[in-house]
Amino acid sequence: MILVIYKIIKNDLLKKKVIMTAVFIFIMLSALLIAGGSRMLIDLNNSINSLFDKSSAAHFIQSHTGELNEEEILNWSREKESVKKHQISEMISIDGSKIFINGEKSESDTVMDLNFVKQNQDFDYMLNLNNQKIKVNKGEIAVPIYYLQRLDLNLGDSMKIEGDKKQFNFKITSFVRDVQMNPSIISSKRFVVNADDFEKLSPLGESEYQIAFQLNDLNQLQQFRDEYSRTELPQKGPTIDYQLLKMANAVTDGLIAAVIILISLLLNLIALLCLRFIILLTLEEDYREIGVMKAIGIKSKKIKKIYFYKYLFIALTASLMGYIFSIALNKLFAKNIALYIGKAPESLIQVLIPFLAALIVALFVIIFSLIVLRRFKKISAVEAIRMGSRGDLNINSSSFSLFKSKYLNSSIFLGLRDVILRYKLYAVLFIVFILSTFIIIVPVNFLNTIQSADFISYMGVGKSDIIIDIRQSKNIEQRFKEIINYLEDDAEVEKFSPYITSQYEIINQDGEAENLMVETGDFSIFQLDYLEGGAPLLENEIALSYLLAEQFNKKVGEEMEMIIKGRPQRMLITGIYQDITDGGKTAKANIEADFSSAAWYTINLDISGNRAEKIAEYKQNFEDVKITDPDEYFQQTFKNTIDQLELLTFSSLVIVILITVLITSLFIKTLTAKDKSQIAVKKAIGISLKNIKLEYITKALFVLNLGIILGTITANTLGEKIVSAALSIVGAAEINFKISVFQSYIIIPLLLILFVSLTVLWSLKSINDLSIADINVE
Amino acid sequence: MENILEAKNLSKTYLLNRRQHHILKNLNLKVKKGEFLAVMGPSGSGKSTLLYNISGMDKMTAGEVVFANEKLSQLNEDQLSAIRLKKMGFVFQQINLLKNLGIMDNIIISAFMAGDEKRDEISKRAHELMKKTGIIELTENEITQVSGGQLQRAAICRALINQPQILFADEPTGALNSSAAEDVMSVLQKINQEGTTIMMVTHDVKVAAHSERILYMIDGNIEGEYNLDKFKENSELKERESSLSRWLLNMGF
Ligand SMILES: Nc1ncnc2c1ncn2[C@@H]1O[C@H](COP(=O)(O)OP(=O)(O)OP(=O)(O)O)[C@@H](O)[C@H]1O
Ligand SMILES: [Mg+2]
Repeated sequence: MILVIYKIIKNDLLKKKVIMTAVFIFIMLSALLIAGGSRMLIDLNNSINSLFDKSSAAHFIQSHTGELNEEEILNWSREKESVKKHQISEMISIDGSKIFINGEKSESDTVMDLNFVKQNQDFDYMLNLNNQKIKVNKGEIAVPIYYLQRLDLNLGDSMKIEGDKKQFNFKITSFVRDVQMNPSIISSKRFVVNADDFEKLSPLGESEYQIAFQLNDLNQLQQFRDEYSRTELPQKGPTIDYQLLKMANAVTDGLIAAVIILISLLLNLIALLCLRFIILLTLEEDYREIGVMKAIGIKSKKIKKIYFYKYLFIALTASLMGYIFSIALNKLFAKNIALYIGKAPESLIQVLIPFLAALIVALFVIIFSLIVLRRFKKISAVEAIRMGSRGDLNINSSSFSLFKSKYLNSSIFLGLRDVILRYKLYAVLFIVFILSTFIIIVPVNFLNTIQSADFISYMGVGKSDIIIDIRQSKNIEQRFKEIINYLEDDAEVEKFSPYITSQYEIINQDGEAENLMVETGDFSIFQLDYLEGGAPLLENEIALSYLLAEQFNKKVGEEMEMIIKGRPQRMLITGIYQDITDGGKTAKANIEADFSSAAWYTINLDISGNRAEKIAEYKQNFEDVKITDPDEYFQQTFKNTIDQLELLTFSSLVIVILITVLITSLFIKTLTAKDKSQIAVKKAIGISLKNIKLEYITKALFVLNLGIILGTITANTLGEKIVSAALSIVGAAEINFKISVFQSYIIIPLLLILFVSLTVLWSLKSINDLSIADINVE
Repeated sequence: MENILEAKNLSKTYLLNRRQHHILKNLNLKVKKGEFLAVMGPSGSGKSTLLYNISGMDKMTAGEVVFANEKLSQLNEDQLSAIRLKKMGFVFQQINLLKNLGIMDNIIISAFMAGDEKRDEISKRAHELMKKTGIIELTENEITQVSGGQLQRAAICRALINQPQILFADEPTGALNSSAAEDVMSVLQKINQEGTTIMMVTHDVKVAAHSERILYMIDGNIEGEYNLDKFKENSELKERESSLSRWLLNMGF
C-alpha cells in the first residue's frame, strides 16, 4: 500500500516539475530578500550606532553666523549640569566657483554649502573610511564621501582652491565620513584641512560657527533645546539635534530596506498562491486515487501527511538556500550603508535575525499548505470513485455561448469565455499580474514624483525660478535691502518675494513655551501646496508644517499662542503644508519681520529671461549670497536617493519580468497539460495551431490587461498611500504621484504584454506535436 | 467511379523505447466517392492508425496519400488543418466533444473557425443537422446533460457542419449500447445516401453490415475485401450480417 502512495507522490513531483521548481524559487527569493532586507536594517542600525559612537556625535548643534562671544557660551555651559561637553568650531564656507575637485571644472553649479574645517578637538569627529579620526598634514585635504561617489575620486587625487591672488593645491588623503553632513539630503558638506591651511583659507570665504553640545542624558535634549533658545546666546542659524542626525543618516537606506522586505512579502504571497494552485490541481488529478485509498481504508490523515511532508521539505530547503544566497549577496545590499555609514563589528544578531526571518517565510508556507490540505478531508470515497474528476467550470456556460456571438473572432471569444467561466483557475495568474504591475509602477511613479519640479512643494517652498539665500554678515539688513532694490529695477523679474526666518516663542501642546523658526513674508505670491487650508494672509494667521501640526495636535481653524515682540498673541492656523526640511518642523506667518532675531534671509523670484544667465548675473553683482535654481538644487541634494531609487526601480522591473515570465510559462504549461485532450481534439477536427494559440494568448493577455488595470489603480491609490505613510515620518504625509503617462501607461504595459505574449508562445510550443493518436492510446 | 482518397505504399513506424514498431506496412487503399467503407480487424492491427494517417492528423513515415487530388505529404501543418477542417469530418469512439462547450457550440465551432460563411447561416445549417439526427431539442444543453447516443449524434453533426467530402468514423458505436448504436447507424446511413463518403472502423458485424465494402486489416496490412450492395432497407440487415459473418470467420475474426 505504501508503494501505491509513494508512486502517487513521485508522479506528482514529476508531473509538476516546472511548477514545483517555481514554488521553490519563489520561496527561495522571498527568503533571500527578507533575510537580506532584515540584515540591511540591522547593519544600518549597527553601523549608525558605531558611527555615532566612533565620531562621538554631537547631541545639539546651533549654527551661527556673525559675532560670537566664546566666553559667554563657555560660562553658560559650565554652569549647566546637563552639559557633558561643549565645543565651538569654525567653518569657512567658500563659494563653489573657487573650488576645483580633481579637474578643471569648478563647483560653481553646486547647491551644496562647501565648508572647510579643522578636525574637532573634543567630539563630532570627522572619520575616514575606516572610521578612524582623520588627520591631515599641510597640503592635504579630506573630501566628503558625497564627492567620492559623485566624481569617482581616488586617494591621491588633487583639489584646488583659487583665491584672489593665490591658489591653494591640496592632495586628497582621506574621504570624510561625516556624521553630521554625510547624507546627500543634507546640503552642506565639510572638507577637513590642516590648521595652518585653515588659517590661510580663512580670508577666502565666510566664517560660520557651530556651537555643539553633548549632554549627560539624551532624554534632556528637548529641555536643553528650549533652555538654550531662551538665552541670549548666539542663534543666527539653524539647529540640528541627535534625532535629526540619526534620521537623516538612516532615511535613504532604511526606506530601501523597507521596500526590499515589502517585495519579499509580495513574493511570498506569490509562492503561497502557486502552492494553492498546485495543491488544488493535485487534488483534482488525484481525486479518484485519493478516493480509492480512502475506500480501501487508508486514513485521510495519513494521505495528507505524505503530501504535507513534501511541502515541508520544499519550504525548508528553499528558505535555507535563500538564506545562504543572502549571505553571498550581503555586500550588494549593504554597499551604500558600508560607504556612507561604515561597517560595524560583526555580531551574532546579524546572522541570527536574517536566519529567523528566512525561517518565518518557511513557516508561512508550511502553515498555509496545512490549511489548504484540509480539503483532503472533504473528499468522499464513493463520490470520488463515481465521478472521477470534479467539474471544471465555475459558472454555467450556456449564458455565454459561441453560437450566440455575432462578430468577435471565435478564438478570441473562446479565450475570453474560458477565463470568465473558469475564473478560479486564472486567479493565480490574475493576482500575480496585479502584484507585478504594482511592484513596477509604484517605484516608477515615486521616482518620477521625486524628480519632478513639483517635488519642491514637499520641502515647504513655493515654486519659483530662482531662490536667493543671503548669508549672515554684519550689514546683512543693508545688503538685503540693496538686493531687493536691484530686483525691483530688474525688468526681467516678473515677481519676487522676500522671506525672513526668525525665532519666535510659541506655546506648545503642553502649554509650555517653545522656540520655533518662523518664516515671515507674503506667502500669497509664491503659492505653496497646502494639505489643508491656505496661506496665512493676515497678521494673526499662521501655517504649520505637517509634523508640527501633528506635534501640537492642531488643525486648520484652531488657534495657538505665539509671543510677538514680547506680547502673547493668538494666531489662527490657516493651513498645513508638507515639509521635509529642517526635521519637518517649520511654520510660516505673514507678520512683520523681526530683524533682530533673523536667522536667514531668502528671496524667491520668477524671471522671464534665461535662468542660467540670470543666476550668473546675480552671482556677479551680489556678494555672499547663494543663488539656486530649485530644480538643480533638488537634483543634487537628492542625487543619492534618486540613484538608489533608480537601482531599486530597475531591480524591481527585472524581478517582476522574471516573475511574470516564470508564472506565465508555468501557468500556460499547466493549463495546456490539463487541457491536453481538448487541444488534441481541436487539432484533430482541423482547428489550426494558429487559432488554438490565439485562444491561449487571448486568455493570458485578457488576464494580464485586467491585472495591469487593477495593478495600476492600486499603485496609484494604495501605493500612493503606502509611500505617503512611509514619508510622513520625515514630514511629507500626502505624496501625490507625478505619473509619467508614457512610462506608466504605455511603456510598462507594453513591456509586460510583450513578455507575456512571447512567454505564452514559447510555452505553447509543446502543443505543436500533440496528437489525438497519443491521447486515445492512454 | 472516381476515387476521393488513395493511399499508396503507406507506412507508419513508431519509435518506442528505441525500438521501431511498424504499425502500417506498405498499405494500399482506394476510397471511392460516395461509398460507405468499413475497416475491420483485430485489436492492435492498426485501424485507428490508418485513419489518423490518411487524414493527416499524424505524419506518415513513408508512402503517399492523395485526397481530393492533393498529395498530403506535400502539405504543411496549416494546409493539413485546413483540409481537415473544411473537407473532412471525424467521429470518434470516445466521442471527444469539447468539454467546456455546450452541444450547439461543439457543432458550430468548426464552421465558425473556418469563417467562410455568415454565422446565421451556419446556425441554420446546424439546426437542420440536429433535426436530421434527432437532437434538435438539445440546442441549449451542456454536454454533461445528455446521453451517450445523443452525444455521438452531436459529434456527427459537428463532423458534418462544414459539408465535408469524407467522414471518418473510428468505432462510432463503440461506447454505445445497442439501441443508441442503431440510432447512430441510421443517421450515418442517411447521410451516406445523401452523398457523403464514409470510412468507418468497427468491431461490430452488425454495424459493418450497414456499409457496402469491408476491408479486413491484419498486422498493418489489408488482407481482404468483401463487397456488399448498397444498403437500402432495414429488412436486409439480418441477411447482410450473416453473409459478412461467414466471410469474417474465414478471415479469422
Ligand atoms: N502514439 C503511439 N506510439 C507508439 N505506439 C502506438 C501509438 N499509437 C498506436 N500505437 C501502437 O500501434 C498499434 C496499432 O494501434 P491502433 O490504435 O491503430 O490499433 P487498432 O487497430 O485501432 O486497435 P483497436 O481495435 O484496439 O482500436 C498498437 O499496437 C499500438 O500500441
Ligand atoms: Mg482503434
